[in-house]
Amino acid sequence: MNLSDSKKKLALAGVICGLVAACLAFLGNPANMAFCIACFIRDTAGALGMHQAEVVQYARPEIIGLVLGAFIISVVTKEYRSTGGSSPMVRFVLGMIIVIGSLVFLGCPLRMIIRMSAGDLNAWVALIGFILGVGTGVFALRKGFSLGRAHAVNKVGGTMLPVMMAGILIMALVPSLLKASEAGPGSMHAPIAASLAGGLIFGAVAQKSRMCFAGSIRDVILMKNFDLFSVIAGLFVVMLVFNVATNRFVLGFDTPGIIAHSDHLWNILGMYTVGFAATLAGGCPLRQLILAGQGSSDSAVTVMGMFVGAALSHTLGLAASGTAVNAETQEIVAGAVPPHGKAACIICIIVCFVIAFTSKRDEVK
Amino acid sequence: MRKKELRLVVTFHTTADAMAMEKACKEYQVPGRIIPVPRAISAGCGLSWCASLEDREQITDMMRKAGIEEEAMHECMV
Repeated sequence: MNLSDSKKKLALAGVICGLVAACLAFLGNPANMAFCIACFIRDTAGALGMHQAEVVQYARPEIIGLVLGAFIISVVTKEYRSTGGSSPMVRFVLGMIIVIGSLVFLGCPLRMIIRMSAGDLNAWVALIGFILGVGTGVFALRKGFSLGRAHAVNKVGGTMLPVMMAGILIMALVPSLLKASEAGPGSMHAPIAASLAGGLIFGAVAQKSRMCFAGSIRDVILMKNFDLFSVIAGLFVVMLVFNVATNRFVLGFDTPGIIAHSDHLWNILGMYTVGFAATLAGGCPLRQLILAGQGSSDSAVTVMGMFVGAALSHTLGLAASGTAVNAETQEIVAGAVPPHGKAACIICIIVCFVIAFTSKRDEVK
Repeated sequence: MRKKELRLVVTFHTTADAMAMEKACKEYQVPGRIIPVPRAISAGCGLSWCASLEDREQITDMMRKAGIEEEAMHECMV
């Protein structure tokens, strides 16, 4: 079935992905997180021992499924193209920046939409930053920003990330090999088979529909084109219905237990960083996984950057904390962005500006 | 809803090339508009230039003058 020849079908693709996210939330994924690329990469990095934050360590089969789902469907439909060579180290750094910004906000653009659908007003505040970030990226594109063209490379190159993901899946099935949280968000997950199936379906549908959160805003700003936006709208509506129907919709700012904070400035700046870097890298965290699955070594390098960024966020104490209830006093403890996280976020924005306005298109001689 | 018709779609190696194309087309007053690359052409999410089939020659000449290299030229229902 062609999922991309009309806005209705694109919205249907969003609905399917929304149903997958809703099912996974129902089956045990953390409340209001359901399906978050940055958080799940962070958890997987923790499972591999890349950071030692004990509450966020779990090899998320959703991430593995996304890459493998995109890989399988692109091979089956003959869309697999092994490409690479477009400024890999810049993309690695942009991958790090995307996740550092995400963990300042506490979620990738996908989770931002999921949080918005659950009534979390902090996510609506962050949306302002995300749109401004994508807008800044679009401005750079108009000024001639380019990371250079990708070239066809050896077919094996594009299979490296899917093979590595399959390797993580096999390791996850070996008892006690990978780290797994006993408490906290990392301990909350749907059964492995359900998570993997969800990831595979989500990955295949995202590959067919070209779902991208940064790309959807980019296309609206650049061309007033709402094709990709309709995918996101479909996902939002399904998650909204799910949250209302299961009494998970709580409108407010300081809502404990949903892994979010109300530091408005840093919610905005965190997602500004993500929107800016994702536009420069050519796609949001989800899109990077999908592109890597369909053979892009450039996106695979970006994904590697995301893993390192996630590990650094927790090793160096850059990630924000969520608003929570003190178990003894029952008082609400406001979540916040640590000083190192604020400094890192500012540095990331500066680096984005440097990359955006120094990497220019080569004129044909 | 606008009816789809067979049109010329020029794809590029980079988004920056597509942006340069938009700028050049304005400068040389060449008809067309920038659109996302149609899904039937690519699984990528780049930008392309869409114009009438009869403008092909004018567009090719202009791209040569402006130093813009296409990835491919397609005839596609848009």
